[in-house]
Amino acid sequence: MFRVDRRLFENFDMVLMILICLVCTMAFFNLYSASSPPKGYGAAPYIKQAYFFLICFALFVFVISFDYQELHFWNYPFYIFIIVLLILSYFVGDSAGGAQRWINMGFLKLQPSEPAKLMLVITLASYYSRKEINDGYSLKDLAMPIALTALPFVLILKQPDLGTALMLGIIFVSMTVFVKLKMSAYTILGSSGIALGVFAWERLLKPYQKQRIQTFLNPENDPMGHGYQILQSKIAVGSGGKFGKGYLEGTQGHLHFLPERHTDFAFSVWGEEWGFTGSLVFLGVYFFLLIWGLYVAMNAKDRFGVLLSFGVVMLIFWQAVINLFMIMGFLPVVGIPLPLVSYGGSSLITTMLGLAILMNVRMRRFHASMSEGGTRVA
Amino acid sequence: MRLKLAFKEVQEIEERDDGALDLLKKRLVAVTVVVLFFFVVIILRLWFLQITNGVEYEKRAYGNRVRIRQLAPPRGHILDRFGREIVTNRPSFNVALLQEDSHDLSDVLERLAPILNMEVSELWEKVREASGTPRYLPILLKEDIDWKTLAYLENHNHEFSGIRTEVQPVRVYRYNDLAANVIGYLGSISKQELAEADSGVYSGGDIVGKRGLERLRESDLRGEKGHSYTEVDSKGFEQQMLKAEEPLPGREIRLTLDVDLQQIAESYMDAGEKSGAVVAMEVNTGRVLAAVSAPTIHIQDFIGGISSTKWKELLDNPKHPLINKVAQATYPPGSTYKMVTALAGLAKGVIDEDTVFYCPGRYSFGNRTYRCWKHSGHGPVDLEKAISQSCDVYFYQVAQRVGVDSLAEYAQKLGLGKPTGIEMEYEKAGLTPTKKWKLKNRKAKWQEGETLSVGIGQGFNITSPLQICLMTATIANGGKVYRPQLVEQVVDPEGNIVESFKPEITSELTGVDHYLEAIRKGMEEVVQGKRGTARSVAIDGLRIAGKTGTAQVVKLAQYKHLKEEDIPYKYRDHAWFTCFAPADNPEIAVTVLVEHGLHGGSGAGPIAKAVLKQYFSGRLNQIVQ
Repeated sequence: MFRVDRRLFENFDMVLMILICLVCTMAFFNLYSASSPPKGYGAAPYIKQAYFFLICFALFVFVISFDYQELHFWNYPFYIFIIVLLILSYFVGDSAGGAQRWINMGFLKLQPSEPAKLMLVITLASYYSRKEINDGYSLKDLAMPIALTALPFVLILKQPDLGTALMLGIIFVSMTVFVKLKMSAYTILGSSGIALGVFAWERLLKPYQKQRIQTFLNPENDPMGHGYQILQSKIAVGSGGKFGKGYLEGTQGHLHFLPERHTDFAFSVWGEEWGFTGSLVFLGVYFFLLIWGLYVAMNAKDRFGVLLSFGVVMLIFWQAVINLFMIMGFLPVVGIPLPLVSYGGSSLITTMLGLAILMNVRMRRFHASMSEGGTRVA
Repeated sequence: MRLKLAFKEVQEIEERDDGALDLLKKRLVAVTVVVLFFFVVIILRLWFLQITNGVEYEKRAYGNRVRIRQLAPPRGHILDRFGREIVTNRPSFNVALLQEDSHDLSDVLERLAPILNMEVSELWEKVREASGTPRYLPILLKEDIDWKTLAYLENHNHEFSGIRTEVQPVRVYRYNDLAANVIGYLGSISKQELAEADSGVYSGGDIVGKRGLERLRESDLRGEKGHSYTEVDSKGFEQQMLKAEEPLPGREIRLTLDVDLQQIAESYMDAGEKSGAVVAMEVNTGRVLAAVSAPTIHIQDFIGGISSTKWKELLDNPKHPLINKVAQATYPPGSTYKMVTALAGLAKGVIDEDTVFYCPGRYSFGNRTYRCWKHSGHGPVDLEKAISQSCDVYFYQVAQRVGVDSLAEYAQKLGLGKPTGIEMEYEKAGLTPTKKWKLKNRKAKWQEGETLSVGIGQGFNITSPLQICLMTATIANGGKVYRPQLVEQVVDPEGNIVESFKPEITSELTGVDHYLEAIRKGMEEVVQGKRGTARSVAIDGLRIAGKTGTAQVVKLAQYKHLKEEDIPYKYRDHAWFTCFAPADNPEIAVTVLVEHGLHGGSGAGPIAKAVLKQYFSGRLNQIVQ
């Protein structure tokens, strides 16, 4: 039973809330344009996404209602739960494009690799804040975080979902570098990382993954095949010009030239319909949200709060960068969604949980001992 | 409680080292810089895509979704002088492949082949042939599909991605091969023609006039293409028509030809499997009423492109159907040339109509003997008798007296030896030899004996049937050389007359009325006289004036004593007959040349007679009544 501190309300961050709402509103309208479906093909994605937004709102309220410190404890069951789901998806999962990714739960086709990203953020934040070393972690100190990352990493790679697996790696690297390593650890980890990369290219990558990367390097070679998606996305974004073609007027999207236009390539639709001006507004708000997330981290009251906020921001930031780079032809098609914008319940819920944690840290930025009112009781 | 313990531990750590937390937070500044850096990179990239290259990408997006199709204009109709349709159009539905919109081509072709009644390999062949064409241009798979196939494809077009049906007008020839060598045929535009045409008028695969009036009047007949702009989705299926510019039909051309005359002349030439030409012309205007070249090409063979075997057959045919013998072939004029000799003699004062020469059947000149065709001789001959009985000896003497250069002068004045200016490609000029010409072209001095040969239309003389007809008309009308014309009217699709017939006199003989009168009298005797060489041509109630001619093909002694029927076909003489009617008030001139037809009167005369009968049919009946 909770008795909620009155100051929690006073500390509720309206700026963060407004930023989240702004991004979600724009994303929803964009999704409507991107996913007006061919007639007779069931519920349009934007309707389902609307339900997910409602669920997210409920989850948001739930998450901000308890102290984020409790994540130190809840982290364990959460971690185990996700690992079980990942293993489960391997046996009972629905496959798409030859990969076992989804667990069909009726209403929601859960993609456990999505919450796995957030799970890793919480796990690492918890570990690094409990085991605080300020002059740099040694390799020995990293054994545990590496193991905690490697387990879901390998499971997701097995699906196979290279993009998401790499995402876990990026989160691990971001957070680990952020808490500082010893020089020796840098060298050893760096060199073994490169070695692993070379080994992976030679042995582990599936042919389609290799082809995607090769196609990316030379897309014009194969305009109707694998380079097609990137090319069409560039055409969509580029043809938006200064002011765009107008809402619901994008031809690339509406005539299906743009592949995956409500999922991975959702922002291409925005770029086409709103042009440079609209994109500038959208990305401005989006990146302001990320900067504000870092500001939250800056003002967190403890190491765990800092690491949690930082991790959530990195989680969103890297996915956004990779997705946008892909859309604009800087990266191969890797299947990373643009958080909050791409259609998909798993990704949306994961991101919103992350943002809820951010709000949680924000609301509890003052030490309990300094508070006047009540104390948290269990 | 366990929870609480865990938290206590954490709080202890925090309280232990606040300075370390500040250190951590300081790093966030660097992180902020990293985030901003990526933001800037993304914005710069957006700028590059949307501002720097925005127009380019917009074009590509447009090209993605908009298919511009050419709408072929119906070609102008071709009518005869009375408005009877000789050449019109009907729609032909073609099946074409647009590679740009094609997905899974092999599957589509496999399913399409049985519907088109074709082998899959044939379809692949077509695709391969067109491998060089840009992806946005359609590849023609099959022409002229039937209605059933068309209906099926239209109803199932979503099953055949990239497959389109296109409508293209094709020619319909109402009178089959009528005037085929004059009208000409169509064919796919060649690379050279494409390169020479003004840009934008044609594109590859267009059908253009290749020969005859279809070619010469291409710019009138072709009309203007239309375009339709259709939006397609990524699968190539049409979503909506954005706009359409309707094609502008070509102009209608009304010819001076008379279908009836043309038909009757053609049927006579066909019936005897004759090779040669028939020309009928209005003597007072230059309107060409009939222009027949036999044997004719079969114009149906050219629709959709002639097959190489048929083309080879045409080229190898010894009767040369591809040559329009009206103006593209020349022959020695034979005795039809005697009018020239007569005119030259009269005009130069060498003879008058009463001058009499004696014909013993031969004429000695130099150390040679020149024979008259009538070996027993004509006896005393005046001009009228000389023409009507075609006495060679008379004209030897006239020719000898006026000289070859005067003959050439009057031949030219009557329209020989130079192109007439008719709308036919590759018109031959013929030749009216002079001394100068021989020196220049044969590097030899003129032999006086050669003048005698020229005087009776042999020797170096050559003329086209059209020129002989023009000469006849000129004699008939009193000396006006008209430009023979084939086009009566050109009418645009709105019904405006763009061009209409105007008689054109290219040159005129003056001060020779009296001489021409005498020649006309002689010519009338040819048909109407008791001993004329073309008495069989005479028609009751119509006065016809004419002249027969026999053009020697070879002069070989070995055939001299053979009966005519025994001479090999290719060595037989060409038969000429040229005439005008009515003799007292000439309206029409008709010239017939039958290659290797032996005698003018019997070989060529009946055809001219049939044409005249047809031309005067209405009036003759009245006379009979």
